[in-house]
Amino acid sequence: MSPGSKRSGKRSGDTDPVPAIDARKLTKRYGSGTSLVKALDRLDFRVEKGEMVAIMGPSGSGKSTLLHLLGALETPTSGTIALAGENFEGLDDRGLTLLRREKIGFVFQFFNLLPSLNALENVMLPALIAGRRDPKVEKRARSLLKRVGLARRERHLPSELSGGEQQRVSIARALLLEPELVLADEPTGNLDSRSEATVLDLLSELNSDEGHTIVIVTHDTTAAAVAGRVSFLRDGRSAGEVAGGDSAKVIRAFAKLESPASKTKKRRSSAKSPRGKR
Amino acid sequence: MRSYTAVTLRQLSSRRGRLFLTISGIVLGTGMIVGVLLLTTTIQRTFTDLYDSIYGKADLVLAATSDAGALPEDALARVRTTQGVDSAVGQVTAVLSLVGADGPGAELNAAGTTVEGQSYSDLEIVSGRKVRGGREAELEASWAEANGLQVGDTASLATPTGIRDYRVAGLFKFSTGVDFGGEGFGFLPLGEARRAFGQPAGWSEIQAVVSEEGTGAVDQVKRRLDAEFGPGVEVITPQGKSDQIQSQLQALNVILYFFAGMALFVGGFLIFNSFNMTVLQRMREIGMQRTLGASRGMVVRSVLTESSTLGIAGSLLGILGGIGIALALITLLRSIGLPVGALQWTAAAPVAGILMGLITATAGSLIPALRAGRIAPIRAVLGSEGLRSRPKPIRAAIGICLVAPGLYGAFTLGAADQTTTAVVAAGIGGIIAIFFGIALLAPFVVSPLSRLLSWPVRKLAPIEGRLASDSARANPTRTAATATALLIGLALVVGINSLGSSFLNSIEREFDRAFARDLTVQPRGLNPGAGPQQSLAPSVLGKISDLPGVAVATPERLVATAQLPQVAGRKGNGPQGLLFGFDPSVYDKVDSSQIDTGDLTRAEAYARVGKGALTVGKGYAEEAGIEIGHEMLLEGASGVERAPVVAVVDTILAGGQTVSMSLEKMARVYGITSDTQIAVKAESVDARAEVKREIERLLEADYPNLTVLSNDEIKSEVESQISQQFGFFNALVAVAILASLFGIVNTLSMSVLERTREIGVLRALGATRWQIRRTVANESLIISLIGAVLGISIGVGLGWALLQGLAAGVPGVVYSPPIGTMLAVAVAAVLLGLIAAIVPARRAAKLDVVDALSYE
Repeated sequence: MSPGSKRSGKRSGDTDPVPAIDARKLTKRYGSGTSLVKALDRLDFRVEKGEMVAIMGPSGSGKSTLLHLLGALETPTSGTIALAGENFEGLDDRGLTLLRREKIGFVFQFFNLLPSLNALENVMLPALIAGRRDPKVEKRARSLLKRVGLARRERHLPSELSGGEQQRVSIARALLLEPELVLADEPTGNLDSRSEATVLDLLSELNSDEGHTIVIVTHDTTAAAVAGRVSFLRDGRSAGEVAGGDSAKVIRAFAKLESPASKTKKRRSSAKSPRGKR
Repeated sequence: MRSYTAVTLRQLSSRRGRLFLTISGIVLGTGMIVGVLLLTTTIQRTFTDLYDSIYGKADLVLAATSDAGALPEDALARVRTTQGVDSAVGQVTAVLSLVGADGPGAELNAAGTTVEGQSYSDLEIVSGRKVRGGREAELEASWAEANGLQVGDTASLATPTGIRDYRVAGLFKFSTGVDFGGEGFGFLPLGEARRAFGQPAGWSEIQAVVSEEGTGAVDQVKRRLDAEFGPGVEVITPQGKSDQIQSQLQALNVILYFFAGMALFVGGFLIFNSFNMTVLQRMREIGMQRTLGASRGMVVRSVLTESSTLGIAGSLLGILGGIGIALALITLLRSIGLPVGALQWTAAAPVAGILMGLITATAGSLIPALRAGRIAPIRAVLGSEGLRSRPKPIRAAIGICLVAPGLYGAFTLGAADQTTTAVVAAGIGGIIAIFFGIALLAPFVVSPLSRLLSWPVRKLAPIEGRLASDSARANPTRTAATATALLIGLALVVGINSLGSSFLNSIEREFDRAFARDLTVQPRGLNPGAGPQQSLAPSVLGKISDLPGVAVATPERLVATAQLPQVAGRKGNGPQGLLFGFDPSVYDKVDSSQIDTGDLTRAEAYARVGKGALTVGKGYAEEAGIEIGHEMLLEGASGVERAPVVAVVDTILAGGQTVSMSLEKMARVYGITSDTQIAVKAESVDARAEVKREIERLLEADYPNLTVLSNDEIKSEVESQISQQFGFFNALVAVAILASLFGIVNTLSMSVLERTREIGVLRALGATRWQIRRTVANESLIISLIGAVLGISIGVGLGWALLQGLAAGVPGVVYSPPIGTMLAVAVAAVLLGLIAAIVPARRAAKLDVVDALSYE
C-alpha cells in the first residue's frame, strides 16, 4: 500500500468535473428565538470523486450536522447540496429516502446492525429494503464479507461478533449497492485500538484500491490522519484544512482549533443540539 | 413533592398517552359492570312498575299455569265467595296486532274487562273516556302516540277471530309514569273482547281484593284459593308476579354478569401486560431508586399505588361509559322483544364499579409490582441489558393443569338444566381457568406461530415480514399476553356461537326429518316460549282446507307452561316446558318425527292419543325417567286428568321438554282453544307453489297478521331468531374485544419505542415511511392472528365442552362448528390488527431519522 498516492489527489476539474459532493452556503438552524442554535453557518464543502476526507471539530462544531445533511438524513435551513451532480433541493421525504438507498452508504459509531439478522443478512439489508432479491445480491454480499475478512462469519449474529467485526460487517453493508458516497460517523469511536487500526486500514484500502469516495466524521486524530484531506469545523464554519497522512500535523492543527479552552467550553454548552440525546 | 408516593404519581402524569391505553381495559370492564347493574335495576323497576300499575288495587291474581290457558266461567263466582275475598273481577286477554296500510304492525296486549274491572288497575285517563261497550278500545297513551292514534280514530286490530275495527274511545297513562319500552297495552269492553278473542266463556285472569289489610290476611286467602283451584291455577300477588319474572330473567342476569366479568378480566390482563412493560422499561430508574435507599417494599408499594390510582381513575371513566352501555343494552333488549323502561339509577352501580376497578387493577399489577421489588440496585448501571424473558416450563405445566378442569367446568355449566349458583360458579370458574391456563401456555406457541403466520408476509416483503416476526418473537411473554387478551373475546364468540350453530343445525336436521308438511301458517314473528303469543283466527283453518290443492290442513297448539305434567304419584312439580296439542287422526300426514311407540305401531299410538293418551319429548323422558306406559297427572286450569304415555318423541323442540296431546284434551284440561300454527300438506309436490300462492292471497286479504312459510322459510325464520339472540351475546363480547384492541396498541407502542434505533437505521439505509409502517402493521397482524388462531381453537374446544354438557340434557343436539363465525373472527382479527397498528405505525414512520439513530 502506498498511502497518499491516490487519495491525496484533488483530481480537480480536468478528469471528472462533477464532484462527489458539492455543498454551498449550508446553513442549519435549530429552534427559534432565544433558544436558536446555528449548527452550520453558510458552510461550503466539496468532496471530489475518489477522495477520502475527514471532518474534525470539537463537540458542537456542527460536524455531525454536516454529516446528517450530506447523508440526506436532514434538510438544510438554506444552501444547496449536490451529490454527483444531483441536487437535493426539492426532494421530499420519499425522494431523499430513495437517494440514501441508491447513492449513500452509512457506517455508524454503534454499528447499528439488526440484532436478529446474521452477518450476511445484515449486509444484504439495503438490497432487501430496496426490494431486490436476485441471486446476484447474495453473491455480492458474500464477496463483500470476504473482502472485509469475515467470509467465515456469514451465519453469525451481531451478538456473536466483536466490535471490530461488527463494524466491518457494517462497512460491507454500506458498500452493497455501490454508493456514490460512504459516510462514516465516528467509525472507530466505539472500538479498542486494535480493531480501530483494522477498520481504518480497511477504509483506507477501499478508498485507495477501489476508489470509493469516503467522508469520515471524527474527533480522533488517528482516524482523521488516514484521510487524504482533513477539514476542520468550528462554530458551524470552516476552520481550515490540512492534508492527511501526517498525524502529527493533524494533531497540531486540531490542538490549535480547540484552544483556548474556556471558549470551547462556552461554545459547547451553547451549541448543544436542542433535540438532545436521550 | 413531599413523599415517595408523590414521585410515583408524578411519573403517572408524565406518560398520559400510555395511561389511556393502560386503563382502557378497566374503563370498559367497569363500564360493563356498571352498565349491567343499571340494566338489571332498570329491568326490575320496569316489571315492578308494570305490575304495580296493572294490578293497582288487586291483592291476588289468578291465572292458568300455562300461557293462553283459561279458567272456567264459574271460577269468578268461586273466587268471590271464597272467605276473605272482598271483591273480584275477571278478564280475558289476547295479543293483538295493529293493522296499518302497509300490513301488520305493533303488538298490543289487550284485556277485555268491565268498567269495574278497569278500576282495579292504577291508571288515569288522559283524554277521552273509558270503554263501555261495542267496538271501542282504550289505549295506553304513549303507545297510541307512537302508532299515530288519537281519540276518535279507528284502529284496525288483528284479533284471534280476524281483523276488527275499533274506535279509540280514550287514552290512558299508567300512574307510575314509566314507559315499558314500547310495549302496548289496551282495554276492550268485555263482551266485545269475548267475541273478538273467540272466548265466549271462561277467564284468562281473575283479580281479587282481600277484605282485611296486611300480608297475613292475603296469605290466608291465597291458601284458600290454592286449595279451591288446585295446581292448574296459579294464585299470586302482584309482587310475586314481578319476582317470578325476575327469576325467569336470572339466567339473563348471569349471562350479563359473566360477560361483564370477562371484559374486566381482559382489563386486568391489560394492566398486567402494561405494568410488566413499564417495569422492564424503568429498570434503570428503579435500580437507581434502590441504590438511593428505597426498600423493596417501597418499590412494590409504589407500583401498586400507581395501579390503584389508575384503577380508580379508570372506573370513574367506566361509570360514565357504563351509563352508555346500559342505554345500548336497553335498546338491544327492546329490539329482541323484552320490555324495558327508561334507565334507572342505583348507587350500587358506581360503588361496585369503583370497587371492581380497584380490585382488578391491583390484582393485575401484583406480579409486575413484586417483580419490580426484586430489581437489584445494580440495574441502575446495567439497565435491562442481559434480561431475556424466556417462559419457564413450569408455566406450561400449570397452564395444562388449569385448562383440563376448566373444560370440565364448562361442561358442567352446559349440562345443568337449572342454573344454580354453584353450577354457574363452576362454569364461569372453569372458563376463567381455561383462559388463565392459555395465558400461561401461550408464550410457548408464540414463536412457532409467529414464524408460521408471518410466512406469507416474509415471502411478499422479506424485510418487513422478517422484522415484524422477530419483533413479535423477541418478547414472547409480551406478545403472548397481548394475544391472550384478544383471544379471550374471540374464543368466547366462537364458543357461544358454537352453541348457536349446533342448535340451528340440529333444529334444521329435525325439520328435514320431521316435516312431511309443505307449508306452515302462523302469526308473523311467532316466538313460542317468549311470553304470550298471537293466535290464529279459527276461521282460517276452514278457509285453507277449502282451497284447491290442499290435502291436509291441521292445527297445532304450542303453549309454554311453568309446570309440565308429572308422573302420577310422584312428588313435586314438573319442570318448565312446552305443551303441544295436535289432531292425531291426520297428524301423520304432515309430520314424520321419529317416535318410539314401544310395542304399538305408529297408527295405533296416534289412535290412543286420540282417545286421550300422551306422548312425551325424549329430553323430558330421559331426564325424569318417564317410560311408555307410565301414567301422568295433568293439572290444568280447567280440569285434572290422568293419562298414559304411549310414545316418546325424538325432538329438540324446547330442549325435548314437551308433552303432547290431542286438541280436545288440551282444551278440556288447560282451557286452551286457540291455534298457534296450521300445518298444510298439498295434494302433490307440483301443487305446492300454487297452494302457497292461494294461501298468501287469502292471508293478505283477511289475515294480514298471519304468514305462510315453506319449510325452508321456517328454517330461516328459526335461524334469524337464533342469530338475533346470539347477536346480543356477540355485542356483549364485543366490549371485551374492544378492550383487547387497546392492548395491542399498547404493545405495539412499546415495541416501536424499543425499536426506535432500529427504525432509524432502516430509514437511513433507505427504507421508506411506508415500509416502516408495513413493518409495524405486520407485527400487529401477527399478534392479532395468533390471537385468532388460538381464540378459534379454544373457542371450538369451549363450545364443544358446553355442547357435550347440553347434549347430556337435550338428546339429539349434535356439535357442529360455527364455520361462519370462525371466518368472521379471522377477518375481524385481521381488521383489528390493522386498526391497532394505525397510530403506532404512523408514529414509527414519522420518527426523525437523526433522533431515532441516537436513541438509546
